[in-house]
Amino acid sequence: MNQLPLFEHQFRAMGGPCRLRFACADDGLAGRVITAAETEVRRLEQKYSRYLPDSLTSTINRAAGAQQSVPVDDETAAMLGFAHTLWQQSDGLFDLTAGILRRAWDFRSGRLPAQSAIDRLLPLIGWQQVQWDASSIRLPLAGMEIDFGGCVKEYACDSVGAVLARHGIERGLVDLAGDMVVVGSGSALEPWSVGICHPRRSGAAIATFSLAAGSLASSGDYERCMVVDGRRYGHILNPLTGRPVQGLAAVSIAAPQCLVAGGSATIAMLKPQGEALAWLAELGLPWFAVDSAMACHGELGER
Amino acid sequence: MSGPADKRPTLLALTSSALLLPAYQGVRADAAPEFIELGMRYSKYEEDNTQGSKTFGGSSQRYDIDAAQFHLLAPVADNWAVAVDVQWEDMSGASPWFVGQSLDGGPKVIMSGASIEDTRTEVSVTTRYYYDRGNAGLNYVRSKEDDYDSNAIALDGSFNSADGMTTYSGAISTSRDDIEPTQGSVPTNTLKNDKDISSAWIGVSRIVSKNAIVRFGLAYTYREGFLTDPYKKNDKRPGERNEWAFSTGYRHYFFWPDGALQADYRYFDDDWGVASHTLNLAWHQNLWRDTQLIPFARYYSQGEADFFANIADTDKRYYADDYRLSSFGAVTVGLRVRQQIGNWAITAVGERYETDESWGVYSGDESPALVNYWRYSFGLDYVFR
Repeated sequence: MNQLPLFEHQFRAMGGPCRLRFACADDGLAGRVITAAETEVRRLEQKYSRYLPDSLTSTINRAAGAQQSVPVDDETAAMLGFAHTLWQQSDGLFDLTAGILRRAWDFRSGRLPAQSAIDRLLPLIGWQQVQWDASSIRLPLAGMEIDFGGCVKEYACDSVGAVLARHGIERGLVDLAGDMVVVGSGSALEPWSVGICHPRRSGAAIATFSLAAGSLASSGDYERCMVVDGRRYGHILNPLTGRPVQGLAAVSIAAPQCLVAGGSATIAMLKPQGEALAWLAELGLPWFAVDSAMACHGELGER
Repeated sequence: MSGPADKRPTLLALTSSALLLPAYQGVRADAAPEFIELGMRYSKYEEDNTQGSKTFGGSSQRYDIDAAQFHLLAPVADNWAVAVDVQWEDMSGASPWFVGQSLDGGPKVIMSGASIEDTRTEVSVTTRYYYDRGNAGLNYVRSKEDDYDSNAIALDGSFNSADGMTTYSGAISTSRDDIEPTQGSVPTNTLKNDKDISSAWIGVSRIVSKNAIVRFGLAYTYREGFLTDPYKKNDKRPGERNEWAFSTGYRHYFFWPDGALQADYRYFDDDWGVASHTLNLAWHQNLWRDTQLIPFARYYSQGEADFFANIADTDKRYYADDYRLSSFGAVTVGLRVRQQIGNWAITAVGERYETDESWGVYSGDESPALVNYWRYSFGLDYVFR
C-alpha cells in the first residue's frame, strides 16, 4: 500500500485534550473526516455531560425525586444497560449514582470530610434504587444524580473510530485524553506507539506500547488526590463506604472496544490492590497496572 | 473472590452489553445515509427464440430488453434522505399472439411477428425519514410507454423493538394504470382502458442469534379493471383479482468461511386459481476485504389459472392461452460479483432462466410458449465520502 499523507487534528473536549491522526489521500476528505469526528465527540458531550445544563444527564438529575420518569433514546438505554452490567460485574463498586460523593470530598481543600457529611450522601447512592427500562429512567430520591463519566469518553472513542471507518479511513488513531482506538487493522500496517502516563509524574510516560488494532483505555488516580497527615487519598471513591479506595495507582486495558476496556479498567481501580490484580489476571484481556509503590504488573506488550 | 470460571463471563457480559450501543452496529438499516450515492446500471434481458417445432411459421424471435438505470441517494438533513431512480428500457421482438392446434393435434404458438418496438421510462422518487427506532418512506413512481402509463404511490414504515432484536414493517401502495394499445399488426382487445392496483404488506424480522436472522411476511393485492392482455388474441380475464402471498426467509452468517447463507420461500395464491411456490437460495461469500461472490439459485413452480387452456375455448366467460397463466416449473441459476475499490463499487450479474411444464409440482398442459432467457447486468456505484 502506498504511504498516504498523515493528517492530525487536536481539540479539547470532554475535559481533556483530544487528538486524531489518520492517513488519507485527499485534503477535502480529510477535512470532512475531521468535522464529522469532532461533531460526534461534541454530540456525545452535549448529550451526556453533567456540567451542561441542557444535557440529558442534567435533565435526568433535575427530575430526581419527581413522580414522572424521563424518556430516553435507544443509545442512552443501551448505555444504561452497559452501566448496569458494570455494576453487576463489580458487585456494586461501579455505580452511576456515586458521583455525588464529590459534594463531600473536596480534593483541593486538603481536608478530609466529616463522616457525617459522607453519611448524609450514602442513602442517595445505589444503582439498585434507580428505576429504568429501555425507554425511560427515574431517580426516586431528590438529590440523587447519575454521571456517565465512567463510560462516555470511552464510547466516544469507539464512535469516532466508527466515523473514520465509515469515511473509508484505513489507518488512524483516535486519542481522547488517553483513551485510544485504532482504526484499520492488518499486519501490513505499522502499529501505533502509545505512551501511558506516569501516575505520579505529570507529563512523563511510565510505559510505551505498540497498538496495532483495537483500543486501549486507562484509568488512574493521578488526576485528583490529596495527602492528609502523610496519607494519600485518591479520587476513586467506593460507593458503598463513601471513602477512597486503597487500590492500584493506574490501570490500562486493551480490548476490541474502548468501552469494554475502559469499564474494566474502572472496575479494577475500584477494587483493593490485591483483589484488583487477581481480577485482572482472570479477565481475559491484555492489561498493565501500576501499584501504589509504582511497581508495574501485567503483560500488555513490550515496554 | 470468584474463580476463573466466573471471570470469563465478566468479559462476555461486558462485551455483549456494550455491543448493543449504536456505534458498534456498523451502518445500521435505520441510520440515515451520511453521503451522496450515485449508481448506474446497464442490463440486458434476452429471451431464447421459441423452438421452431413449437411455432406455426412466422417469426420465432422473442423479446429482448435493454435497460439503463440511474440511482441517486442524497441525505437532505440529519434524518431525511431522498432517492431518485430513473430507468429507461428499450424492448423489441415478438410475443406470443395465440396458441393454435396443429394438424397432429398438439398446440403450437403463433407469434405476433417482430412488430413490437417500445421504450419505457420510469421515474421513482422516494423520500425517507429516519427516526430513533426505524424509518418511513413515501414513494411515487411514474412509468410511461407508448401504450401504457402508470402512476403509483406507496407508503412504508418499519419499527424496531426496544431490544433492537425485532423489526416490524408494513407498506401500502396504490396505482392507476392507463392502457392504450398500439394499433398495428394484430387486432387488440381494447382501444383504451385502465386498471387499479392496491396492495398491503406486513412483515416481521427477528435476530435469533448473533449470526442468524429470520423473517416472515404477508401480502395482499387487489387488482380491478382491464386485466386482460390487450395484444393476445384469445384472452379475456375477470375484472378483479385478489392475491395473497406468504413469505419467509432465513439468513445465517458463518464465521468460517466468512460467508452467509440466505434461504427464502414464498407461497402465492389467488382467486383465479393460480398458486405458486418460490424457493430462493444464495450464498454470500466474502473474499479478502472488498470482494463478494454470490452464487444463487431459484426454483419456481406455478399452477395454472382456472380459465387457462392451451387451446382457448372462446365461448366461455373467461379464457386465456397466456403461458404466464399456465402450469410450469422454472429454475434460475446465477452469479453476482461485487468488487469494492475505494469509494467505487462494481457489480456484475449473470443469470440463466429455464422453464418446463414437467419441472413443476402442479399438473397441467404444457404451453408451447414457455420461454427461457439470459439476463446480464453491470453496475457502477460511487459514494461521495
